[in-house]
Amino acid sequence: MPEIRLESICKDFDGHVAADDLSLTIGDGEYLCILGPTGAGKTTCMRMICGLTRPDSGRVYFDGEDVTDMDVDLRNSTMLSQSYSLFPHMSVYNNVIFAPRIKEWPEESAKQIVRSMLNMVHLEQKADWKPAQLSGGQQQRIALARALASGSKVLLLDEPLRALDARLRINLRKELRSLAKEMGLTCIHVTHDQDEALEMADRIAVIRRGRIIQVGEPRDVFENPATPFVANFVGRSNVVTGRLTASDGDHAEVTVPGGWVLRTRPTGIPVGTDVVVTVKVGSTKVSHATDEDIPNRMCTGTIERILYEGATITVDVSVDGMGTLSAKLPNRKYDDYKAGETVDIQWVPSKASVFTMPEQGLEEEMRLD
Amino acid sequence: MSVLKRIDELSGNPKVRRSWFTLACAFFLIIIVIPSIFVVTKILTEWDLVNNILSDASTMDIIMGAVWNSFSIAFIVTVIDILVGLPMAWIMVRREFRGKNVLDTLMDLPLAFPTAVLGLSVVVFWAVPPEGITVPGLGLGITPYMLVVLLHIIFTYPYMVRSLSAILEQIEPNYETAAMTLGASRWTAVRTITLPLFRAGLATGFILCFARSLSETGGTNIALLLMGAITDDGGTFFTGPTFIAWMKTAFGGATSPEAMGAMILISVIMIVFALILLVVVRKVMMGFRIPIKKVWPDIGRKVSRGLLPKAKDVLAMAFLLFVVLIPSFYIFAFLTQPTGDIDFGGLLSATGTSFLVAGVAVAVDIVFGMPVAIYIARNKGNRLADVLDELVNVPLIIPTTALGFSLALFWGSFGFSDSVALMLVVLGHISFTYPLVVRNLVGAIEEVDPSYEEIAITLGAKPFQAFRKILFPIIKSSVLAGGILAFTRSLGETGATVAISDSVNTIPIYITNLVKAGMAGEYTMFAEAAMCSIVLIAICFVLMMVIRAMSQGGDRDA
Repeated sequence: MPEIRLESICKDFDGHVAADDLSLTIGDGEYLCILGPTGAGKTTCMRMICGLTRPDSGRVYFDGEDVTDMDVDLRNSTMLSQSYSLFPHMSVYNNVIFAPRIKEWPEESAKQIVRSMLNMVHLEQKADWKPAQLSGGQQQRIALARALASGSKVLLLDEPLRALDARLRINLRKELRSLAKEMGLTCIHVTHDQDEALEMADRIAVIRRGRIIQVGEPRDVFENPATPFVANFVGRSNVVTGRLTASDGDHAEVTVPGGWVLRTRPTGIPVGTDVVVTVKVGSTKVSHATDEDIPNRMCTGTIERILYEGATITVDVSVDGMGTLSAKLPNRKYDDYKAGETVDIQWVPSKASVFTMPEQGLEEEMRLD
Repeated sequence: MSVLKRIDELSGNPKVRRSWFTLACAFFLIIIVIPSIFVVTKILTEWDLVNNILSDASTMDIIMGAVWNSFSIAFIVTVIDILVGLPMAWIMVRREFRGKNVLDTLMDLPLAFPTAVLGLSVVVFWAVPPEGITVPGLGLGITPYMLVVLLHIIFTYPYMVRSLSAILEQIEPNYETAAMTLGASRWTAVRTITLPLFRAGLATGFILCFARSLSETGGTNIALLLMGAITDDGGTFFTGPTFIAWMKTAFGGATSPEAMGAMILISVIMIVFALILLVVVRKVMMGFRIPIKKVWPDIGRKVSRGLLPKAKDVLAMAFLLFVVLIPSFYIFAFLTQPTGDIDFGGLLSATGTSFLVAGVAVAVDIVFGMPVAIYIARNKGNRLADVLDELVNVPLIIPTTALGFSLALFWGSFGFSDSVALMLVVLGHISFTYPLVVRNLVGAIEEVDPSYEEIAITLGAKPFQAFRKILFPIIKSSVLAGGILAFTRSLGETGATVAISDSVNTIPIYITNLVKAGMAGEYTMFAEAAMCSIVLIAICFVLMMVIRAMSQGGDRDA
């Protein structure tokens, strides 16, 4: 049930920076997703919370108490790894009762807890099985039951759904979250799957190169990204560079190569600055080119190709000077467009974000490693 | 129970954990590594003795001859092992056929035979046996050199096939299949794809076989005794280890300064050459490139089809049967001979000594080897771990006779001598079995995902609880397999025991003495030696069967 606070944590593995002055607070009973590309320091961050990795500097607090030097086994924070790590030589039952026995709880209440945990994950009839006999989803649930039976109040989930097949993964999202909520646990869930994070989290922390670059509710992170990187990492965006040429309380205007003028939400960035405009592909619309005056038309281009993706289609449009912009549309529009046709591209200005051009250059900013 | 709980609690303290690890490292360095190579310092402190030998041309001839014999035999044996071991490893890993299990067991059998027994068996099978042995053999007039080669092939061959198969199992046949779908013939695919991926296995196999051949004393000694090449007052043919053993027992023992000088010199030469070899083989094997640029599709196709691949398999099988298996089992021919009364008291007491030595040595290996093995397995790439990893191989490559001699000198310099001979012998056996146990442990621990223990700790377990409830049960079968391997190795060892003390009577030494008595004219002793050997084989065989049951049990659980 504790509130967890990481304060100015630094950790360096032989020159690879896993945490760079990282600070983060996770509320009591909150479900927080740490989202970031591979090697960003997600797992390290979590291992420092449970104590398996010791920070080079900085402190870890549980409910205000400094636990940085506390032994792992006393922290009551349990990890659920992506391989589940069910002890292969023990039955399902012995796996789940491991922590109650280690903690020397009275045998009767230990048994009862184990039974109710197995019940909760609907696997009571598999108690005598060996982990290797279970399917991936069942193993995942047993690992969860084992973690919950330990009486820990902090649950650390390291890509817990990664090894499952796609459909099961989506089903388990809700189940996992509601179990955690039911038990009132403080959960930290590490993932690189943005859909998973958006769907499961109370709040998302986007981490990159050992730094937290944005923390917020899923919708906030999705719609109001703090940097061009977040804009493109949490939901794909069209990214265009240009110069801010006009700005008022209503919207801002950015002139981009090819002479197009793109409108974005209002900004405090001074006119004349080099900027980056991002707009989610889902907020980008297309329509057949027309001479009529369309309010949110930003530019006009030629359809390069149309990708059928099931429920949605993606239309790639080549625009003079700007390169390719993409629009994600419902699949019923599939027959409306053909490659080679000329289309107008529109978006609502409030859906487009504008950022000052990053110092290290746009390419470096957008890199996924 | 309460002791365990105390250890559980203590293991939570990082200082305690570090102290225990430091202790294990200290044990490894002070009890195993340093005594093993201590003799090298003697070349400085006893320079006068050594210098006398250096200027004694006739002794120098014998020493250099013995060193040359040892290294050239080891080299020839290893090369033959590679040539016949490769096709055999292929058959064992890539083929499925009836009786594969039987073949698998047969392959390991020579490992269960104490080498002293093999020495007797091989002479009787191939060569003209001395007067008094009535079992008929092939009676070929082969030289001691060839006989030793034939003998060493028997007990090195299983090591080679095992190390090659271990690597081959990890190389997916998909690579070969991919190459073949791209148009390569099977021969070309193997040569250009699989063999280059194979170097690590070759290096391991090479070092294991070479070291084993270089080290072997008991079997070689018996073979040479029976051939009449070594007698109590001299010899016409020595290998390095048999020369040291002969010096120690026949030449008035280590007390004579002349023997001391010669033993120091040959031990140092053997140790230094062996260590250089360890480094060079690693470097050469890893740097060696099998030429793959050029392909000869026509030749490749020709050798991939028709009779040639079949002939290769048949030859490999025939070699196993006629050079390895039949000569090993030939000892059982003695069962057809009438035997006199067997001195069961003597056999029993020697067996007791052997079991005591082997049992204590293996137990100590496991207890003190475990922290080192865990550290090596869990800290790959860390400096200290890499250094330890290399050092563990040192006692493996040093000829055991030189190792035993060195160890006796080391403890002798602290005043420990024959009064605690049994303890010194145990220490000697710890030294050369330690690498076997630790290697096995490292391999097993590397296979275990560290997250098991980590999760156990986050669930509230103390580090030692995580070890005894999680890691140890998972690797238990490998611990046992490694332990029994080391145990049988210790049971069969002659060289180290002889070099440390001549008062400790283990089974191989008991058998050697029976053979010596036979050579001295008490002909019934040959048959008795053979019967003792058969008993010893039976014991080792049962132990090997236990290993197999254990390791297969492990597979089933996994």
